[in-house]
Amino acid sequence: MISHPDLTGDLSLLSPRDIRLYLDDFDDLTLDLRGEIHHRVGVQRAFPFNAPTKFIVLLNSDGAEIGIVRDLGDLDSDSRDALEIALEQAYFMPRILKINSIVSNFHVPTWDVETDRGHRVFEIPSSRRDVRVIDDVRVILRDADGNRYEIVDYRLLDPDSIVFVETIV
Amino acid sequence: MANASEINLLEIPPQHILDGLIPSHETVQLSASTDICLDGTYGTAYLLATDKHLFAISPNGDSTPHTERIPLSEITNLEVKDLFGNSLLKVRTATTGTTLARFTKGQNQKFNRITHQLETLVKDARKTEEKIAKGQLGRAISGRRCDVCGTIISRRVGVCTNCLDTRKLLYRLLAYARPFWKLGTLSLALLLTSTFIGLTPPLLMRELIDGVLAPSENYETTFFRDITNSIYGMPTGYEILYFLVGLLLLINLSQSGLRAIRSYILSVLGQKITYNLRNEVYQHLHRHSLSFYNERETGTIMASITQDVGRLQDFISDGLQEIIRDIITIAIICGILFTLNVKLATLVLLPTPLLIIATLKFGHRLHRTYRGLFRRWAAISALLADTIPGVRVVKAFAQENREVGKFQTRSEDLLKGEIKIAGIRSIFSPVMAFITSIGTLIIWLVGGTSVLDGALTLGNFVAFTQYMWRFYGPVESLCRLNHRFQRAASSAERVFEVLDTQPDVTDRRSAYAMPAIEGRIQFDDVTFSYEPGKPVLKNLNFTVEPGEMIGLAGHSGAGKSTLINLICRFYDIEEGAILIDGRDIRDVSLKSLRNQIGVVLQDPFLFNGPIAENIAYGNPDAALDEIVAAAKTANAHDFILRLPDSYDTPVGERGVRLSGGERQRISIARAILRNPRILILDEATSSMDTETESQIQEALYRLVQGRTTFAIAHRLSTLKHADRLFIIDKGELAEMGSHAELIAYDGIYARLCRMQTELSKLRAW
Ligand SMILES: Nc1ncnc2c1ncn2[C@@H]1O[C@H](COP(=O)(O)OP(=O)(O)O)[C@@H](O)[C@H]1O
Ligand SMILES: [Mg+2]
Repeated sequence: MISHPDLTGDLSLLSPRDIRLYLDDFDDLTLDLRGEIHHRVGVQRAFPFNAPTKFIVLLNSDGAEIGIVRDLGDLDSDSRDALEIALEQAYFMPRILKINSIVSNFHVPTWDVETDRGHRVFEIPSSRRDVRVIDDVRVILRDADGNRYEIVDYRLLDPDSIVFVETIV
Repeated sequence: MANASEINLLEIPPQHILDGLIPSHETVQLSASTDICLDGTYGTAYLLATDKHLFAISPNGDSTPHTERIPLSEITNLEVKDLFGNSLLKVRTATTGTTLARFTKGQNQKFNRITHQLETLVKDARKTEEKIAKGQLGRAISGRRCDVCGTIISRRVGVCTNCLDTRKLLYRLLAYARPFWKLGTLSLALLLTSTFIGLTPPLLMRELIDGVLAPSENYETTFFRDITNSIYGMPTGYEILYFLVGLLLLINLSQSGLRAIRSYILSVLGQKITYNLRNEVYQHLHRHSLSFYNERETGTIMASITQDVGRLQDFISDGLQEIIRDIITIAIICGILFTLNVKLATLVLLPTPLLIIATLKFGHRLHRTYRGLFRRWAAISALLADTIPGVRVVKAFAQENREVGKFQTRSEDLLKGEIKIAGIRSIFSPVMAFITSIGTLIIWLVGGTSVLDGALTLGNFVAFTQYMWRFYGPVESLCRLNHRFQRAASSAERVFEVLDTQPDVTDRRSAYAMPAIEGRIQFDDVTFSYEPGKPVLKNLNFTVEPGEMIGLAGHSGAGKSTLINLICRFYDIEEGAILIDGRDIRDVSLKSLRNQIGVVLQDPFLFNGPIAENIAYGNPDAALDEIVAAAKTANAHDFILRLPDSYDTPVGERGVRLSGGERQRISIARAILRNPRILILDEATSSMDTETESQIQEALYRLVQGRTTFAIAHRLSTLKHADRLFIIDKGELAEMGSHAELIAYDGIYARLCRMQTELSKLRAW
């Protein structure tokens, strides 16, 4: 692999030693960056599917980038917990455990599923755009309103559900 | 401002929850349900406001619901956060902040409205006019000639029909089947066995009639009788009947079995051959230089991989065996017929020449019409392939009606062709049926007379009729063999053309790997032409020092892109030499050369995959750090984070979901990541606004340090960092020097510069 001396300066990585993350009294994620306090910090994953615990971008309350946490695991445990809570809140993505039915109405399939967060019915407007398969087995769905759902490994579902998935992907 | 009557009171939680929660002197002003509970499970939770308090009620399994209560007067801030997977309502007081509701994104609108109504309630509760903060986190070539005979090759057929040597082709095709000869032989053996078995039932029929149903005196004992005798001793009629029925059952069973096994083996054989051929064709396609693709339509190339290969498979695995079967069937039936009765056999064969002539004649017409039809289908696909991707242009120029009209014309042509085919076909089958019926007539007349005369047994008569029917089928199909052959041959020719064309830019036998490039590039009297006799670059002579940045400018069509194509060795030059670090680029391996060159094109091509993969296209195992860093350098990071899934967002086919400038920035990141020794920027920032461009300029400036760089740009300000400028005019190096030198020279560059300054003054107004 070619090493890139010219690139490293551009990354704006936050050193785990310099930062402390916590939820303040308002339950808002707060960043203490060497004494400089950022309130209401927003979080964004740079690689939400391929590296959900790496490259977490921290944004200030105006949405501008403060810096990047390279790896969640590098943080001290309190900061990590706070960041994980913020991520969990932002990236709500229930896991589909069973597909009860997929019924197509006017080419818009309606999915009726059981998730780890309960029962849910939603519509997928375009299976080309809104259904993504990652690593051949992981399925990410986006419904008509933009909500996300995930099938961690569709081959591990029950046989009926597998048939449903295979007709779509 | 909203008044009480507008307030949403429809979604009220069950009464038993409300009891004891709401103080008796307060009245419910607003109530709404959510679809995600506060613990993150799906379910109905409620948001409820009285004139004094705001409540959140969230179910908590079977135990008492989780509730939150906040006095309205203390609320300082209400915020609907539209996050990636769900949304939430956050309420802040001077000292605390609480998430009071979580909901799916379909409810955003409702909660935006509710937030509005809540604000009114809050104001009323506070009885002050101070404003509360409300935040919302929004979120083809014509006239090509055959190399051998010089005839013009049709673009559609793509091969010289004049030079098709079908026998040679067949031989080559068989070469692809050879590795699977065991499977092939097995399936042929099965085919022949089932053909033999399939020919026996008429003989059984004869036995049934002559031996059992209507025993005839001049019926000689046959093979079957011998067998039944050996089983039953002296069998009764019933016993022979049972035996024959049993035998027929066995024959039918074994034939079905054999057919099933054979069709499976044949499919496997066919698919294996196609698999090899398809991969070989595809692999070979990637070895060709760009000129191969310039001369051919993409559609034709793709058809080679899909259709032609499929047709060949059909022919190799199925067609050949069927031919063998047909020939053998004809021979066996002829043998049986002549054994049964020579005179009758001769008569039965009488209509055969007629049948052959008719099949050939009709077949020829059908084939020609089909070819016409194929052309019309192709015309329709070509139209679709052209207009559907260009649909934005069609719409922009409001040409929908014209396009629909064009389609209808072609569709009508197709309709006419199909009707013609239907006409030919509907005559064809009755004529064939009539010709075959002549055979029946002869058998009825001559054979019937013989039966009456006692010269022919009834069983023989019936057997004859049955064999006759089985005889004509193979004859017909052999007559159509020629067309099948021709079709396969033209497919084969197209496929072999791809396989046979020697890539014109290849590694020499003696090619060695290019060592790490320092960056001295030397053009030594280089002349290049795409088409013979029309040189695009003429007698170029120059040397670029390692690390130098060269700006290429000149009118469009002057040959700038061509020049850099030559450095990448996309084409080979005929005259002169291009040297990198003193080595002729034709002496080194392509891979080692191109690995050290980074190219950013004006209209960069992105592949349908996530952004991250596209950035890492040249180095698939780049670390995430490097991907993000490259994107930052290329000024792409910020817009990537605004995409729904950041770096994991798919870009769509050819990157359609990104703007031109965004695609260019991805492409720059790709080049940066490659860390090339020679960097080529062909109007790499042309689709960006001036501001974005100047931001990237700084990054690019850092990037080009220490690398030899060629940058082509129309906006001359883009080239301000260039050490030297080359002005190309009509394929010649017209001017060369620094900005100041060229301005002093007062030539083409000076004129271009003045024109652009005028323009920018105009813009400044
Ligand atoms: N693949 C090609 N086949 C034939 N002619 C080409 C091809 N590419 C470019 N040309 C011709 O070569 C000339 C120089 O083109 P090019 O190098 O692309 O110009 P520019 O300076 O605008 O980049 C033009 O006249 C163009 O028509
Ligand atoms: Mg060009």
